[in-house]
Amino acid sequence: MSTNRRGFLGGTAATLGLAVMPARAQATTRIRSYWWGAKDRADRTNKVAEMYMKANPSVSIVGETLGWGDYWTRLATQAAGRNMADLIQMDYGYIFDYARRHALLPLDGFVGKQLDLGGFTQQSIDGGKVDGKIYGVSLGLNSTSLVYDRAAFEKFGIGLPDWPMSWEELGKRTAVLTKAANRPGYWGMNDAGGSGPALEVWLRERGKQMYTAEGRFGADAADMSDWFGFWQSMRTQGSCLPPEVQALDKSDIDTSGLTTGKSAVSFANSNQLVGYQALNKSRLDIAMYPAGAPGTKSGQYLKPSQMFSIAATTKIAEDTAKLLSYYVADVEAGKVLSVERGIPASKPVRDAIDPSLDDMGKRMSAYIAFISDKVGDLPPPPPRGAGEVLALMVRTNETVGFKKLSVADAGKQFMKDCESILARG
Amino acid sequence: MARRRAKYAGYSFLIPWLVGFFGLTLGPALASLYLSFTHYDLIESPRWAGLANYIRIVSEDAKVGDSVRVTLVYVALSVPLKLGFALAIALILNKGIRGLGVYRALFYLPSLLGASVAIATLWRKVFSGDGLLNHVLAYVGIQGPSWVSDPDHALWTLVALSVWQFGSPMIIFLAGLRQLPQDIFEAAAIDGASARTQFWRITLPMLTPVIFFNLVVQTIDAFKAFTPAFIVSGGTGGPINATLFYTLYLYQEAFGYLRMGYAAALAWLLVLAIMAVTAFAFMTSRSWVHYEE
Repeated sequence: MSTNRRGFLGGTAATLGLAVMPARAQATTRIRSYWWGAKDRADRTNKVAEMYMKANPSVSIVGETLGWGDYWTRLATQAAGRNMADLIQMDYGYIFDYARRHALLPLDGFVGKQLDLGGFTQQSIDGGKVDGKIYGVSLGLNSTSLVYDRAAFEKFGIGLPDWPMSWEELGKRTAVLTKAANRPGYWGMNDAGGSGPALEVWLRERGKQMYTAEGRFGADAADMSDWFGFWQSMRTQGSCLPPEVQALDKSDIDTSGLTTGKSAVSFANSNQLVGYQALNKSRLDIAMYPAGAPGTKSGQYLKPSQMFSIAATTKIAEDTAKLLSYYVADVEAGKVLSVERGIPASKPVRDAIDPSLDDMGKRMSAYIAFISDKVGDLPPPPPRGAGEVLALMVRTNETVGFKKLSVADAGKQFMKDCESILARG
Repeated sequence: MARRRAKYAGYSFLIPWLVGFFGLTLGPALASLYLSFTHYDLIESPRWAGLANYIRIVSEDAKVGDSVRVTLVYVALSVPLKLGFALAIALILNKGIRGLGVYRALFYLPSLLGASVAIATLWRKVFSGDGLLNHVLAYVGIQGPSWVSDPDHALWTLVALSVWQFGSPMIIFLAGLRQLPQDIFEAAAIDGASARTQFWRITLPMLTPVIFFNLVVQTIDAFKAFTPAFIVSGGTGGPINATLFYTLYLYQEAFGYLRMGYAAALAWLLVLAIMAVTAFAFMTSRSWVHYEE
């Protein structure tokens, strides 16, 4: 009977593309964990699960992993079926939704017992709070960052993207790069006119914000026309990909113009340097997003790149909390996970992995240290409908790019559609 | 007594199907009908919304208009082209060429692969800016656009994908052609009717029941098309909603933005639309479909 069930689980898992730990006969507690990410992350996460099972023979861990897009669909379906995994990777953009709908377990009761957050700063603990209670524990600190082909810039003697370079300056340098490379189908940078994180940084540098604490859009039609107009001028001067090439970018590492060899700069997150480098032969590096007016703060902020949360429906809350603690606070686990999810929040873990970091890990660590005094505060959480606004940004940017809408009208049209999305929630 | 037992035996054999029908088809369908009158985000319980979803679809949602337009254009282009292509190939194969079985299998192959993700992915590669098609065009000095990612061409690549999968109507046409009584053609040939006249006056009218069948089936299929647009556009329906099929919009609302109630309402309107189109096809069929007595 048990063989059949295991076989069935294995089969189901295989069809869903899950990674399955070998179930063991003596295991009495079965913990399901679920995360999004590429293969490198799965390997590291599974390795830690194996180490944990070795130390705790009564526990078996089943890991499931999907790509970002499918991840949330499946999580919502699991939530509807009261069948959520016990340990869930969570994002800052979703944690408020899930916590306020009572799908997540408040973790305050475990802190200091099963869950060791001793090495965390108060700030990094607060990043996982919703309405005063802890619902998520940071898996690593990151920030937005340009990921760029350092070798390409150096080859033509063009100044590397560096702080505090203005948005226009980045446009100039990439236009020079496009011209210098002189290759058909190759441009200086990706078109980030449809990127939510890029817009947010740009708006914050104008003293605006993407979303207010009341969940309204924080900019107006003039701001948005300026934004779409900036990217239109980038296209015209040959700085960024033309719209029909940018349209192939699905906002992930695999399809980014940088990875497909069509551009030298991608607007990404600092921890993604690992993922990008794995798919790029050329030597990559990271830099801050461009700056606003001279002397102003960067629009970037430090945030938990991902968190671990526990499902409200779990029957093994304490065991899951112990496992969570192992992932975020154990030094040996930290060595395996390294900085792939961002810089670990726990100081002992950070200290332990620092000497063993490879070149890439060192650069990422140095980047976070470099930007710490230049970035602003964590913004209010995005309201419901924020995901749909991201899709609207891509669409509006394309409409301008394909010259089906003027820059002036794009601002107005965007605001109208955006407000209707947010009103609907 | 014996009859009653026979009846029970019959039902007992039907049980697997009945369980499937009530549990997996009728039950979920009725549940989705109920959900279409609610707001439901999967996580919280459904909230009753009355007709709000339907009213929004019909009167307030501009994207519905976009997706209906895209879908109608797709149906209106892909169905006639696919049927015409299928009939043409069937006519050629019906000439009794050698190795017919091989050709039949070859031409049918795309339909077998058709709805698969792999083919749609391949399509995306073939029709992208530096894809296979443009490489071929480059040999004859044409610089093609990026077909899949240009709003003016993207839908056409999906139409082409659909036409390429002409295998199943082709097989049905071929079977229909095989059944046409040869004596009529012989009589016509003796009376001096040219091949063209024979086609228009004999083949086509006698084939109308098969054409009608293929038309209905392919139209329904075209309305339901989802995978190609989902894969080729990466789920966005882009660029600029150029490939936003109605089914894709429905999917986005359901699984992208967790508006299950709204998506259920969209689904039921699609069911009604397909029923109406099919009923319309049956009504007009009286005037053009020729059934032999």
